[in-house]
Amino acid sequence: MTDTANSPTADHKVPVTVLTGFLGAGKTTLLNRILCQQHGKRIAVIENEFGEIGVDNDLVIGAEEEIFEMNNGCICCTVRGDLIRILGNLMKRRDRFDYILIETTGMADPGPVAQTFFMDDEIGSQMSLDGVVTLVDAKHVLLHIEDSDEVKEQIAFADVILLNKTDLVTSAELDALEARIHAMNAAARIHRTRDAAVDIDKILNLGGFDLSRALETDPKFLEPEYPFEWSGLYDLAAGKYTWIFQPGPDPTMGAFCTPAVHASEAGMRERVESAVRAFSSPEHECPPGSECRVDDRFLQVGLEGEALRYTWLIDQPGAYVWFTEHHPDEFAAVLTDEQGQALEPLVSREYKPDHEHDEEVTSVGIATPGDLDLPKFQNWLRELLATHGPDIFRMKGILAFQNSNQRYVFQGVHMLFDGREDRPWGDEPRRNSLIFIGRNLNREALNQGFAACLA
Amino acid sequence: MFGMNRSATSVAAQLEECWYVALPDHVIDLQWAPNGRQLLAVTVEGLVVAIEDLGERAQFRSVGQHQLGANAVAWSRDGQLAASGGQDGCVCIWSGGFDSAPLTLRSQASWVSRVAFSPRRDVLAWSAGKSLQLWNAVNGEVFYQSAEHDSTIADVAWNPDGSAVAVVAYNGVTLHVPGKSSSPRKYTWKGSSLTLAWSPDAKYIATGDQDSTIHFWHVKSGKDARMSGFPTKVLELTWHHSSRWLVTGGGSAIVLWDCSGAGPAGRRPHLWEAGLGKITQVAFQPQGDYLASTDHEGILLLWHLADRQEPIAACKLSAAGTGLRWSPDGQRLAIGQANGVVVVFELQPEKAPV
Repeated sequence: MTDTANSPTADHKVPVTVLTGFLGAGKTTLLNRILCQQHGKRIAVIENEFGEIGVDNDLVIGAEEEIFEMNNGCICCTVRGDLIRILGNLMKRRDRFDYILIETTGMADPGPVAQTFFMDDEIGSQMSLDGVVTLVDAKHVLLHIEDSDEVKEQIAFADVILLNKTDLVTSAELDALEARIHAMNAAARIHRTRDAAVDIDKILNLGGFDLSRALETDPKFLEPEYPFEWSGLYDLAAGKYTWIFQPGPDPTMGAFCTPAVHASEAGMRERVESAVRAFSSPEHECPPGSECRVDDRFLQVGLEGEALRYTWLIDQPGAYVWFTEHHPDEFAAVLTDEQGQALEPLVSREYKPDHEHDEEVTSVGIATPGDLDLPKFQNWLRELLATHGPDIFRMKGILAFQNSNQRYVFQGVHMLFDGREDRPWGDEPRRNSLIFIGRNLNREALNQGFAACLA
Repeated sequence: MFGMNRSATSVAAQLEECWYVALPDHVIDLQWAPNGRQLLAVTVEGLVVAIEDLGERAQFRSVGQHQLGANAVAWSRDGQLAASGGQDGCVCIWSGGFDSAPLTLRSQASWVSRVAFSPRRDVLAWSAGKSLQLWNAVNGEVFYQSAEHDSTIADVAWNPDGSAVAVVAYNGVTLHVPGKSSSPRKYTWKGSSLTLAWSPDAKYIATGDQDSTIHFWHVKSGKDARMSGFPTKVLELTWHHSSRWLVTGGGSAIVLWDCSGAGPAGRRPHLWEAGLGKITQVAFQPQGDYLASTDHEGILLLWHLADRQEPIAACKLSAAGTGLRWSPDGQRLAIGQANGVVVVFELQPEKAPV
């Protein structure tokens, strides 16, 4: 006998990526891309239907969804029996691959897939769920998103969302879709793709990187509720312009015009924050026929009457962005130059406004400095998950506990929770960032509950 | 290898290594031929290997291959037939040794998790995905195909008199009686059982379950006792030949259940603290009182029912044990390992201390 220890307890977990998306969203295309790329990884693939793809030297195993409920059908304890069996088998040939990809069916609920990594300790001890990648068919997703729980859950569970088939929709439609998806899952990284072409590093081996990345963004970004529905950027020469409105559904509308540094989408995006601020400043009445200037005032534009005209005096040539409370299309609004020519915005975007924010699935982000009291936090979370576990699809966070020098990172799926101490805070300011993604979340209650856990 | 120095011991024995062979990858199953002179082993990558035990050494040769991987092997009662099943949905059956190509039976299902010969007749049972199939060696016909169970079948075992075969899947145990027109008997539990073992007197079916429990099903009454408290799911079960004791793994301790009299319900099991590693295999000697166990750290321990405090012998293996099989005469112990090694030990009475 040799003494070469083949230690099964070696502390090296195999990363697993779960690929979800509705039928036709491009999962097979993406899988083929991943397997054909020269990435130096040996990938074992668990396919929902056997035989769709097959590449030499890769291990491809077919699986048919087998849902195992445990503990009297509690959805938080529901796992995928087929995956337990197949992953258990794959662990016996760990030297054959470095990475595992699981492709789910279009209708699959990602919950039981993710929960399998928490509920089965044999699998949890040897594999880690690196990320859930959801492919969204940009052209057709809107047909399903309203009435399909599966689509909502696939979006809610995602760490990365690929907005695929971007060539089949306009950029305005894409913007609107991205804003909507972002409102549902603010923690996911969204990439726009065509033919599922994406850099493999953006979907595999996300590790903790993506978690901190998602949570370290500006907390305002976590709550993308805008007081306006539309913005458009125009590149204008100095002169006199006319805004013409036809009758529409609302008697008045908030509007704000601001100069942009660049005549581009980025230039428009840079002005969003100032617009949010402007929309909360005192409004300035602006009756039909008024002459307006770009002067940082938040205008309340009157819209009662036929063919209402407003004059805009532009002193300096350059890029200007208009933000409007309602979509200009609702009033067939146009901006014309001195010759009466209607102008098209260089770029425009629709926003999901807060007063129409009725998404069932949303994200609630909490970012607050200060130290947490461990027992208080534990009690709050236990209570929260016991009462709202089924509605909380995912949660992720980086926390600062009193008396600990280390960052505490955690993630959870429904009632299942997995946390550990991370690197020391060092010079970084101690703060808590966490995000809940779920159905019918009560933003206020979550914020208050969390605030009460501060030491 | 070392025996343990012990004071006041009632039982003493050592395990002496006889030979080992190295297969290319993880040994997923192995079984002794009824004559105890041959082993059939399969690896997770699908290799089927016949190993001849020549006492102090062994010879092995590859006799078959399952595409995508193998799962299980079995011998018929007289050793004339041997079978293997794999992830290719195939069952291979060899007759009269391994000199000719096996008969290959294909099913639509992708996963044959178990193959099991009846202890009384030349009938082979196997699981084809969610369905149980029975094959008659005399006429070479598949004469029974069950309806689909609620998940892929996890385990298959004949009752001791070979009149019925039990399977476990999601939602419990199903007992199929070949040749009977009545529908199979269900022992329903909403959960996932992973493995089963009949008590030798056929009174109980014990199952090891995904939710870190075991069940004792009283076969006649259909009543069950559910035992919880295991640290992890339970994949390791072995009955003592008396049917009084069931030993289970499901953690790093050996758990001994007393099933005498009114049964195990309400009784506290005995715990034998084995070591740090999670138990991977347990096996009672076929007619005797020895028990062997292996763990994730590659420790092989020998225990005896009469002395339950600590193991009476221990060996370090080169990898975790993945299959632990006593020879039919109870004198040899074959162990398949995660690194492809198959090693055989012989049970020897304690030598005088040096």
